[in-house]
Amino acid sequence: MPEIILKNVKKVFGNQFVAVDNLNMVIEDRSFITLLGPSGCGKTTTLRMIAGLETPTEGQIFIDGVPVYDGEKGINLPPDKRDVGFLFQNYALWPHMTVYKNISFGLENLKWSKKEIDDRVNELLDMLKIRQFVDRYPSELSGGQQQRVAIARTLAPKPKVLFMDEPLSNLDAKLRGEMRTELKRLHVDTNSTFIYVTHDQLEAMTLSTRVCLMETGVLQQFAPPLEIYQKPENLFVADFMGNPTMNFLSARVMGKIKEGLMLDLHGKTVRFTGEEVSCAQGADVILGVRPEYIAITDKGRIQASVYTTLPTGMETTVRIMMSGELISAVVFGSVDYPVDQEIRIDFVGDNIVLFDKETTKRIGLGRLVVEG
Amino acid sequence: MNKTSNRVKAFFSKPANVILVVFALLLVLLTLYPLCELVHHTFIVHATDATVLPGLKKGELTTASWKKLLTTSTHKYSWINFYKPMVNSVVLATLSALFALVFGGAVAWLVTRSNLKAKKFISTVFIFPYIMPSWTLALFWLNMFKNPGVGTGSPGFVYSITGLCAPEWFVYGLLPMVIVSGLHYAPFAYIFIGGILRNMDANLEEAATILKTPRWRILLKITLPIVKPAILSTFLLAFASVMGSYAVPVYLGSPVNFYVLTTKMKTLQTTAIGQAYIIALFMVILGALIMMANSLLTGTRKSYTTVTGKSSQISLVDLKAGNYVITGLLCMVLFFVCIMPLFSFALESIIIKAGDYSLSNMTLNYWFGSAGSVSTTVGDTGIMRDPAIWSAIGTSLKLSLCCALIAGSCGVVIGYAVVRRRGSKLSQWVSGLSFFPYLIPAMAFGAIYLAIASNFSFLANSFLILVLVGTVKYLPFATKSGTNAMLQLSAEIEEAATIFGISWWKRMTKIIIPIQKASIISGFLLPFTSCMRELSLFVMLVSSRTQTLTTMLMTYNEKGASQYGNAINLLIIVLVLAINFGVNKLTGASIDKGVGGN
Repeated sequence: MPEIILKNVKKVFGNQFVAVDNLNMVIEDRSFITLLGPSGCGKTTTLRMIAGLETPTEGQIFIDGVPVYDGEKGINLPPDKRDVGFLFQNYALWPHMTVYKNISFGLENLKWSKKEIDDRVNELLDMLKIRQFVDRYPSELSGGQQQRVAIARTLAPKPKVLFMDEPLSNLDAKLRGEMRTELKRLHVDTNSTFIYVTHDQLEAMTLSTRVCLMETGVLQQFAPPLEIYQKPENLFVADFMGNPTMNFLSARVMGKIKEGLMLDLHGKTVRFTGEEVSCAQGADVILGVRPEYIAITDKGRIQASVYTTLPTGMETTVRIMMSGELISAVVFGSVDYPVDQEIRIDFVGDNIVLFDKETTKRIGLGRLVVEG
Repeated sequence: MNKTSNRVKAFFSKPANVILVVFALLLVLLTLYPLCELVHHTFIVHATDATVLPGLKKGELTTASWKKLLTTSTHKYSWINFYKPMVNSVVLATLSALFALVFGGAVAWLVTRSNLKAKKFISTVFIFPYIMPSWTLALFWLNMFKNPGVGTGSPGFVYSITGLCAPEWFVYGLLPMVIVSGLHYAPFAYIFIGGILRNMDANLEEAATILKTPRWRILLKITLPIVKPAILSTFLLAFASVMGSYAVPVYLGSPVNFYVLTTKMKTLQTTAIGQAYIIALFMVILGALIMMANSLLTGTRKSYTTVTGKSSQISLVDLKAGNYVITGLLCMVLFFVCIMPLFSFALESIIIKAGDYSLSNMTLNYWFGSAGSVSTTVGDTGIMRDPAIWSAIGTSLKLSLCCALIAGSCGVVIGYAVVRRRGSKLSQWVSGLSFFPYLIPAMAFGAIYLAIASNFSFLANSFLILVLVGTVKYLPFATKSGTNAMLQLSAEIEEAATIFGISWWKRMTKIIIPIQKASIISGFLLPFTSCMRELSLFVMLVSSRTQTLTTMLMTYNEKGASQYGNAINLLIIVLVLAINFGVNKLTGASIDKGVGGN
């Protein structure tokens, strides 16, 4: 079964620009992997290197146990020998061919018989609900329809691995939601491995079985989306995942206690308890608190004021001013607070993250209790 | 060791790299090697040199040609044969390029930015002068204004009808040359500047309008600076083209001893070829300087030229009452320079005695007459019955077709490779080299290849050398349009096919070329048209067996057979226009598409 392995893969453009550095990854069979990160982080380059459209500078890539690239041995299989499909951001439909021809052209080249090609094209036309457009040219289709044709073309030769480079970024919000649903369903139906590039963390959260989060060519964390959300490896990952973003509060370690630390948070003493906590006294740390772990309650032990309220209908983001720092809290339902209203807040939940300020690495995960 | 060989293997597994390496070598062979030969030949004593350089034997190495041409003060030899023509060339090229720029640029602005009438007619007819041979207007000018008071003394149209004698400075010399060359290259400015104005984001100008900037200030402070790179490169390219032109100076300058570098070089070729090569070398150096100036001045700001946006809703400047006046004037000028020449040539080709336009003085015998029906200095049959003419038509068509096919195909392939490997040193080197022939004046280019032909006997006087020189000379056009075509196509269109394992050849023929059909055929059309009407490039290289229509025309005009000359001229223009029109209707390709307009 096609397992994809990347070993020490590196890509240097020109003479100095390192796009991807020392990337190690194992992509399991039939998983839905998202390469996530801000623009310019090397995610598209990684995808293109696995597909064979870009040649790595060094390292090894295996698909299904077969080395498709090996810098030392000089192996570099062309894309067509890797049994992969590729869905491009701008669809890259051939403008001079009809929908039918766009789908069949690649198959003709694979020496399929006429009957097989016709059957497969018809199957895909039904599967992606594009039968009525079969004789049209790409310029006569809407963006969403073009997207479907592109997917059909990519799926036609039944590739074992499917690569997608930000395939939904050219669609409007509503269509993007629909296509997301269908892609996830398609992943199950086609029984193949999907590798998906996006800069949209919501897309990565909702679609993938594992997320590979990158920054400036370096892998930050490779884990299931919820694990990345709950247990981010470092500040960058914590900040990138989640909307509204995680609140970061500076604190100082006052002393150790059993299973935890006593911290100084803006003059207040707080107790942090949880697993794997390790830190020296006097060190600077950062508390990462998801907006849903900040509760607005009359019993709260911290005094704060409302800066502004952003209702979306289903939930409301409240921006709160706390000791000169602006933080976010999420409240279920529509709530409207007057600006500058005095409120009291408290920390809830088990997944408050502790980061070392210097290394930005996660050093603890647990609960936070305000002592006074 | 193993690693290096792996890297080499990986490098050559990409078709684009193979193409670049092949063309890098080929272009060095076809452009740099000839250049070295040219330099070499300026130091050799040739058979013709031996007579003007006493005491030296044929084949000897010497600097005598250099000394003779550059430092002889006796009888002002250097001044007359080198410095004066040089000054004349530069003055002529500067003024012509300026004229072309102002006229072409103004029309481009009027067509894209004002509510001018008859835009369709103007934009169609305006590029006629560029499609027609460069000497068309020069001959037309002579047909109109020559009179007994100047030159050969034969009467022209204006004199015959009105009896007015135009002064010599008006008929021959700098003024008519500037007007004629300027008009010929104005379409150039029109296509380049018009293309950018059309693609320019109208929001840029609208933003200024919102800020209450007056119209003239927008033109001066926004529009002009944005098209500045195009203006500069148009000026330099027109300058280089005029520097290398031969036909216009020979018709309008030589009769009154107004020599430029090209005409001087042709004269020296028969008497002292070593010195002719030196002049050619100076023209190459000038060309290279222009290329450097061009990349220096526009290099950093080139990105402006790709400004695009929604330019559909541009608000046009209202010319108000001036509209009809400007439209009328422009149409009149265009009618005069684009359509009148055809009538003039037709008329002059059928009158027996110059200056007499009565019906009794007209005959079609110069076209279709049998042997003995007319009497001229070169023959007594109509040109359509002259086997020499038919052979010249055949040579011209065959030559143009060969050059267009080879240069056009190379252009597509080079364009592909350059775009795919954009930014790499090799790609820059190849695109630079392929542009180089454009800046070597045609005349000097011919001279270089003449020098090489003397080393390889199978090339001398052959059809092959004409094909070679034509192909290399027009490669820049073909490469430019090939590159343009590839730039418009995203790499993903090709990658989508690569994924399916479709071979490079099939990707080119089934995907890339069909999509960019119109642009690519334009890349073939341009070398074809240029080749059909080329004179200066071939004039030194043709033999009696390989006469083209243009060199034939030259011979007849030199011998004073003006009816034949006019007839052949009309034949060339009609052929070129017909082929252009036909290809345009059939495929949608057009000359202006080829040089970057739309």
